[in-house]
Amino acid sequence: MAERGGFGRGFGGRGDGEGGRGGRGRGGGRGDRRGGRRGNKSEEEKWVPVTKLGRLVKSGNITSLEQIYLHSLPVKEHQIVDALTKDLKDEVMKITPVQKQTRAGQRTRFKAFVVVGDGNGHVGLGVKCAKEVATAIRGAIILAKLSVIPVRRGYWGNKIGLPHTVPCKVTGKCGSVTVRMVPAPRGAGIVAARVPKKVLQFAGIEDVFTSSRGSTKILGNFVKATFDCLMKTYGFLTPDFWMETRFSNSPYQQYTDLLSKQATKAILPPTEEIPPVEV
Amino acid sequence: MDSDLAKSLRSVTISPLEGEEEEEEVHIEEVEEDEEEDEEDSVQLGFVEKPKNPRLLLSHLFPNKAGGLPAWLDPVNLPPDNSRLCGFCGDPLQFLLQIYASIDGKESTFHRTLYVFMCPSMACLLRDQHEQWRHKEGSPSRSVKVFRCQLARSNPYYSSEPPKLDGTDRPLCTGVPLCCWCGTWKGGKLCGSCKKTRYCSEKHQAMHWKSGHKSECYKLIASDSTIVNNGNGVQDLTVFKNGLNNATWPEYEIVIEEESGFEWEKSEGNSSSTGTSAIVTKYNKTDEALQSVMDQFEADADKKSWASFEERISRAPEQVLRYCRDATAKPLWPLCSGRPSKTEIPPCRYCKGPLCYEFQIMPQLLYYFGVKNDSNSLDWGTIAVFTCLASCESSISYKEEFAWVQIYPATSIRPGRLTM
Repeated sequence: MAERGGFGRGFGGRGDGEGGRGGRGRGGGRGDRRGGRRGNKSEEEKWVPVTKLGRLVKSGNITSLEQIYLHSLPVKEHQIVDALTKDLKDEVMKITPVQKQTRAGQRTRFKAFVVVGDGNGHVGLGVKCAKEVATAIRGAIILAKLSVIPVRRGYWGNKIGLPHTVPCKVTGKCGSVTVRMVPAPRGAGIVAARVPKKVLQFAGIEDVFTSSRGSTKILGNFVKATFDCLMKTYGFLTPDFWMETRFSNSPYQQYTDLLSKQATKAILPPTEEIPPVEV
Repeated sequence: MDSDLAKSLRSVTISPLEGEEEEEEVHIEEVEEDEEEDEEDSVQLGFVEKPKNPRLLLSHLFPNKAGGLPAWLDPVNLPPDNSRLCGFCGDPLQFLLQIYASIDGKESTFHRTLYVFMCPSMACLLRDQHEQWRHKEGSPSRSVKVFRCQLARSNPYYSSEPPKLDGTDRPLCTGVPLCCWCGTWKGGKLCGSCKKTRYCSEKHQAMHWKSGHKSECYKLIASDSTIVNNGNGVQDLTVFKNGLNNATWPEYEIVIEEESGFEWEKSEGNSSSTGTSAIVTKYNKTDEALQSVMDQFEADADKKSWASFEERISRAPEQVLRYCRDATAKPLWPLCSGRPSKTEIPPCRYCKGPLCYEFQIMPQLLYYFGVKNDSNSLDWGTIAVFTCLASCESSISYKEEFAWVQIYPATSIRPGRLTM
């Protein structure tokens, strides 16, 4: 006769988990999250980080995305980007159905293309394919948040007000497409093709002249070239960067106990006699 | 000859140009990995909670717990000396968690607990990565060890009736004395001077000596009291609970929920719900150009598996353990690289039968343990535990099982330029 194993609450076996837990009301509290408007705050509070970087962000040791960019740390959790930026807007650019041929007909999935940005120097792009449109959009937003890059802006002429255009002429290349961005005076607007214009709007660039070469019909390369161009804005050495750099420790090394204890002990105490051990 | 020609002519048919037409209408993808089509197994999730009463986590109440001290199921035959040390640094391993997972149907597995121990040093874990790939050479030295202990319903340690949980339950016998510093392993060695404090290894004796035993040792020689820490923890073990020494992680109880009890979150996107119908293009139009954009930005295999991992845990982001002992169950891997294939999982070292996946530990546990985030602190993607399919019996009380650790690939950490 098959006897149900174990006393108390154990893993394995179906259904005994539910019965034992009902009293604590934990299942009810957790499962009851359907619909209902939740503020963004509560989602962030519920986030339990999975990576080391996530734990650093949650504990508040890292306060800005720039610290992460400085050390080229890979960002794996989109909640990190959420926590470190405000007003991140997203827009779905396109959703296409793609089909796969199976014996029983066609299987349709939806591919969503999302641009995310805060209009203030951070922009990201994400693509995701899923069986339902909503899932694809959600996944694409997450992927877009993970690919956020910083964009440097500067002035065309007088340094009045906030930066509004690219700091200098920069060019980016992908495949055969090269995109050249040239600083423009205020009021010029973004002079670019439809899709890169959207990306530049999300990046927070107000005026820019662009010039492209190559097979821009291949939109993939075209958009990647604009992205590459935006990445290069921070790579360009301008006279502001002529000062000698002070290298800093990465966040992983910054918060060790070792660094804080270094100042106290200089001389090691003499090794002590520990009494022998018998079995 | 004519008849042959006629036959071959008859077999020739005119087929419509279906292939070309379809390609014009709709984009036919290459076959992809069907990650989303997997049927979902009924997984049980474990969550950590501060225990309402630490006495509920003693071994005669068959607890599920993480951190703190292990509640040994068999309080007498604890794991031997060589299996309790880290294979690389030689320090005794630290208790990570234990779960009570009995198997129905077999008498010998009425009580069955799995214990996971780990060395808290990341350097040892990185070396352990090499070892877990090369399991074939005998029993390799590891820094992550899993022990399985099982007992029949009638056994010399616990009563055959279920515990009443009203404070009157008692174990039937006291266990062996444990180490005074870690409270985890058997205290087989005595301090040479006071002959009363017990240790499991010289390293723990050295640490206890430095942090206070030096001054107390002579006092103990004089007094008559004995410090007794037994295998079932009936005595008071407050020295470990306040966590002043770093030998144990903070103690939690593991609470079990079914994964299916959690609803999918309904996302509240800004414009997605209203704008989708307008943006979804009709079937017979594809933007060739935009298709190429999508191909460029589509994530690679590692990112895709990470994305589906995140999606799955987002239903219950606080989970620390996933349990599923079905034959078809597969662990939820965060990364594509570093997964074991069938051949990389060794056979059971006692009965030589196959191992099957039982449960996996999630990295959220590190957050709850408050593990620091420097370069030598622990960090893993997931730890998957494979146990003997037959849950074999043998004379060894605590049998070792196989743990597979998947860690995030190391990033090159270079000092960065300070820009303005």
